Amino acid sequence: MNRTPKPHIGLKLPDLFLPVTRKLVSMGAAASRDWQPQHHDPDWARKAGLPDIIMNNYTQAGLISRFVTDWSGPAGRIGRLRFAMRRPLCPVGNLTIRGAVVDLSAESDTLVWVEIDAEILVGDDIVTTATIRVALPGPGGDSSAWHCSGSRWNP
Amino acid sequence: MTSLPDTVKDWLGKPVIVMDHVLTVEQGLWANFCVAIEDANPLYWDYRLAREETETVIAPPMMLPSWAIDHDWRPEREGPAPRTLELHFMVKDALGYKNGLVTEVELELHEPLRAGDSVKAEQILRSVGDERETKLGTGRNWEIDVVYHKPDGTLAGVQKLTFLGYGRVEA
Repeated sequence: MNRTPKPHIGLKLPDLFLPVTRKLVSMGAAASRDWQPQHHDPDWARKAGLPDIIMNNYTQAGLISRFVTDWSGPAGRIGRLRFAMRRPLCPVGNLTIRGAVVDLSAESDTLVWVEIDAEILVGDDIVTTATIRVALPGPGGDSSAWHCSGSRWNP
Repeated sequence: MTSLPDTVKDWLGKPVIVMDHVLTVEQGLWANFCVAIEDANPLYWDYRLAREETETVIAPPMMLPSWAIDHDWRPEREGPAPRTLELHFMVKDALGYKNGLVTEVELELHEPLRAGDSVKAEQILRSVGDERETKLGTGRNWEIDVVYHKPDGTLAGVQKLTFLGYGRVEA
């Protein structure tokens, strides 16, 4: 549990690669109990003007979160995630999530906020853009960001 | 601004749909989500490793909104399950659009959820934009906030969603 990274502005996080399969799209929707037909029924999706079934927002949020915590380890506590789905994310090809640290701010000696800009690409196409604010333990403290609660937690 | 039906104007700025304790948070349910996205974060899986950070395992924070979505079927329920984000469908139907998509999402995360927790979710319509031409046809955006509390009143998080409604329902 003691592998908290030392971020700096401009630091690129390791890319996350994943094939976008029908299994991923439909299982992510099912696991979030999202039975809207555009996430599992290709015929319905096409009639609605979409190219195919599309990944739901919960699954995209989960993947972006994984991208960040694969890097930060469990010490990383995401406080805010904002993302825009610019194009439908359909089960074709491979997905890449890439991103970099764009801002750092120490809220106290024990907590550092790291802002990360990220994007999901399928091939060369950017389908989703995201900004993530994640808290890490500060240099002067050994307490976990997870122990911060109530008015002390300002995501 | 394009005129809005009075019903939609009346929904602005206050909780219209409240979902309370739809589901109990449990690890078996969140494990399926972790499997789907292959998320190995030990806070969701490993009681021993999670103890230092979060005392016990926690549900993946990004799953917060899903705890207000009921199972698709229940033995005691007659009729279909309540729709995910019912207020969104109410707005879409009231404005006369066939289709609606989420285009932007913001999640502000507070207290994590653990097995045995549940949430109270309040859906609030924040704004409705003017009708415009979109890549999918004539449509417009609207914004809905969902505020999630734990049973003891602790804030679990806030979800802000932007929707696009498109495709006129034929008269």
